[in-house]
Amino acid sequence: MHGFFFLQLLTGLATAAQLFLLAAGLTVIFGVTRVVNFAHGSLYMLGAYLGYSLITRAPPTPVGFALGALATAAIVAALGAALEIGLLRRLYRAPDLFQLLATFAVALMAEDLTQRVWGAEDLALPRPGFLAAAVRIGAARFPLYDLVLIGLGPAVYLALLALFRTTRWGVLVRAATADRDMLACLGVDQRWLFTGVFALGAGLAGLGGALGLPDATATLQMGFSSVTDAFVVVVVGGLGSLSGAALASLLIGLLQAFGIALVPRSTLVLVFVVMAVALVLRPHGLLGRVPDETGRAAMPDLIRPATPALRALALAALLAALALPFVAGPFLLSVATEALIALLFAASLHLMMGPGGMASFGHAAWFGLGAYGAALAALALRAPLPLALVMGMLLAGAVAALFGLVVVRLAGVYLAMLTLAFAQIVWAGAMQFGEISGGDNGLLGVWPPRWLGGPVGFYFLALALCVGGALVLRRALQAPFGYALRGARDAPQRAAAIGLDITRLRWAAFTLAGAAAGLAGALFAFAKGSVFPTYLGLGRSVDALLMVLLGGIGTMSGPFVGAVVYTGLYDALLLATDAWRLVLGAAIVAMVLLFPQGIAGAAARRVRA
Amino acid sequence: MLEVERLCSFYGRAQILHDVGFAIAPGSVAVLLGRNGAGKSTVLKSLIGLVPPRAGRIRFQTADIAGLPPHRIARAGIGYVPEERRVFADLTVAENLETGRHPPRPGLAPWTQARLFALFPALAELRRRPAGRMSGGEQQMLAIARTLMGNPRLVLLDEPGEGLAPLMLRQIEQAVRALRDEGVSLLIAEQGPAFARAVADQVLVMEKGAIVWSGSQAALAADAPARQRYLAP
Ligand SMILES: Nc1ncnc2c1ncn2[C@@H]1O[C@H](COP(=O)(O)OP(=O)(O)OP(=O)(O)O)[C@@H](O)[C@H]1O
Ligand SMILES: [Mg+2]
Repeated sequence: MHGFFFLQLLTGLATAAQLFLLAAGLTVIFGVTRVVNFAHGSLYMLGAYLGYSLITRAPPTPVGFALGALATAAIVAALGAALEIGLLRRLYRAPDLFQLLATFAVALMAEDLTQRVWGAEDLALPRPGFLAAAVRIGAARFPLYDLVLIGLGPAVYLALLALFRTTRWGVLVRAATADRDMLACLGVDQRWLFTGVFALGAGLAGLGGALGLPDATATLQMGFSSVTDAFVVVVVGGLGSLSGAALASLLIGLLQAFGIALVPRSTLVLVFVVMAVALVLRPHGLLGRVPDETGRAAMPDLIRPATPALRALALAALLAALALPFVAGPFLLSVATEALIALLFAASLHLMMGPGGMASFGHAAWFGLGAYGAALAALALRAPLPLALVMGMLLAGAVAALFGLVVVRLAGVYLAMLTLAFAQIVWAGAMQFGEISGGDNGLLGVWPPRWLGGPVGFYFLALALCVGGALVLRRALQAPFGYALRGARDAPQRAAAIGLDITRLRWAAFTLAGAAAGLAGALFAFAKGSVFPTYLGLGRSVDALLMVLLGGIGTMSGPFVGAVVYTGLYDALLLATDAWRLVLGAAIVAMVLLFPQGIAGAAARRVRA
Repeated sequence: MLEVERLCSFYGRAQILHDVGFAIAPGSVAVLLGRNGAGKSTVLKSLIGLVPPRAGRIRFQTADIAGLPPHRIARAGIGYVPEERRVFADLTVAENLETGRHPPRPGLAPWTQARLFALFPALAELRRRPAGRMSGGEQQMLAIARTLMGNPRLVLLDEPGEGLAPLMLRQIEQAVRALRDEGVSLLIAEQGPAFARAVADQVLVMEKGAIVWSGSQAALAADAPARQRYLAP
């Protein structure tokens, strides 16, 4: 028992060291620049791939390995600096969602480019003697390399502390964290300071990726999976706090080690529970501080009743949608059905994000829960279509209501990260609990009944439910509920002073949005005839975000425009090119730089001006 | 040293400064007076570049600095001590001083930590204390000392005496005189005439974003109607 305990302790410490190497750069970058760098996981992935290339070319000795890892860190640091100079420098004063979006786009492009350079195969580092060596602990053997990692984690932590405490650069960086403008008035050009910080953070990610190679393989998925891990660590520790990241890494690493050993399937839930408990007790993380939002642009807000012109346009669009089945072929009809579902999905996120002021990066959780709920109702309970749809919606709404109790008190980036992590956990749950969800193979044979009249009938059902649902959400925003919600977002103190229960308002919006997304997911299950874990995946959450931002978050017609444009663009891209991630990423970057208010927002400005 | 001509500054669409003009001679002290909201802070912020002026010229020594970013203006030799002091709360006194450090300038005796501690003896004992845990007066001294570490030729002081006890006030006053004796020029914004009386070579009075009166300290003392009109509370 003692041996077991000690072994798990070491395993946990090794995991913690790796988590810290992964998360340290993210928290350093955020602390100084206030940018949540979604591409951090991609830098980590690049570290792994580059590290593979360099280390396999170096002599198979410890020195060769170390030099390879350091060279990797240097190259990734240079890439980070280039990213800062080329893109982020233009976005420091933009709303933080745009920074997330832009760096997300970079992550998409990085995945595509990495596949082009290194291929789609996973890369496993060969293990020469010094990497395969192990030490005996009781009856078990423990990898020597992991012991080295256990030493490296604290060493890097101390080196970073020394860098920030004792060097002039470190002092300037800490000053910039506190008050950028004052530092500029003292004659410091903070642009290069920020570039340096970005290079440092990227270099750490690169180092972490390379050092992780002996224990894992380099895969294309690791960009997105590792950024989720890094977010969890950084959010639990407190955004911007290096010591917080160290503490959270330790906590999560140990919990994982002991959790896996004691209850093999508990890890996912455990990590989430840790995060939820930590954030409920300390909404800004273990060692985090209340963020300072000065100097940052607020999201533009243009919500008003529709003008006559807009009404006419909407009516024309509706008539066109009604006429579509009589002219369109089966492919166009299925694209149109998807666009309708996307519309409801986007409108539900918009309710949360725009008027609710709660950015969600895991909106797919509700979509997927709705889809699984409906599919399970139809398959396992033999529920008829209407009942299955309702059950999907209720499942999503109920889980959203529960989860909402935890998260609606959180703000900004914390909420975004927690929703993202929740969705990742639901996704992993769907993969893991195959007896219920079918795992990777999904659930098949979820078709609408014959009486509905095939694709055309289903199209009309989707039209009625999605447009109807989106209009209900829109209506709610123009009702007192909507005004109260926006009041709570823009002036929380004043709203509380006039007696609005802000937490309840936000919770209601969160639940409503979850249920609406669930209905969209339930419809999607029947439209596709099947449900897969990807419905819960990050990709789908991002679809929703893109639709909302593409349309413009501050306009009510935004989600309508965004859903149609995005679905069309996406299908066209997917058909036209295998480089869709690259093209989509570039398009997002261009959009963020050119239309920070979205298409509908830009159009509304044009009209007003 | 500094010549300002027809300076206009805005916050968003609201024009705050209207054709502000004045000049400061090398080694002299100018005091900017005016009631709450007259635009004194905005003048200083326009000079340092925090509020880039939309129109007008600012000549500092030989260069036109209007429109440059703050860090370039600071490096050109203008120091700025804001009204709110804005010391870096988590950094120690010594670290705060380090953030302002720049190479010496020809013709000016370079400021070092040792010389600054001689100027503000109270700071010497607080070297390792985080700035956030100091009194308002100590923070004010630190803010001035931090700016001096950059060896500026002209220092902009925004209400250095605000909210300070008389004893502190006297120390700041002494420091200002010491600076002038070193050959540093100063532009000091103040609400009341008390501080100016002690140090000013030149007084500029502002109202509604424009300079409405200027002259010597003695002339202002003799001009009771102007004091009544522009400065009485
Ligand atoms: N950030 C800002 N945004 C918009 N208006 C501002 C801002 N700062 C100041 N103002 C306005 O500009 C005008 C001049 O302000 P300023 O701070 O320059 O006055 P001041 O003379 O320094 O006053 P005080 O003695 O109170 O410090 C005032 O009407 C003020 O309301
Ligand atoms: Mg002022």
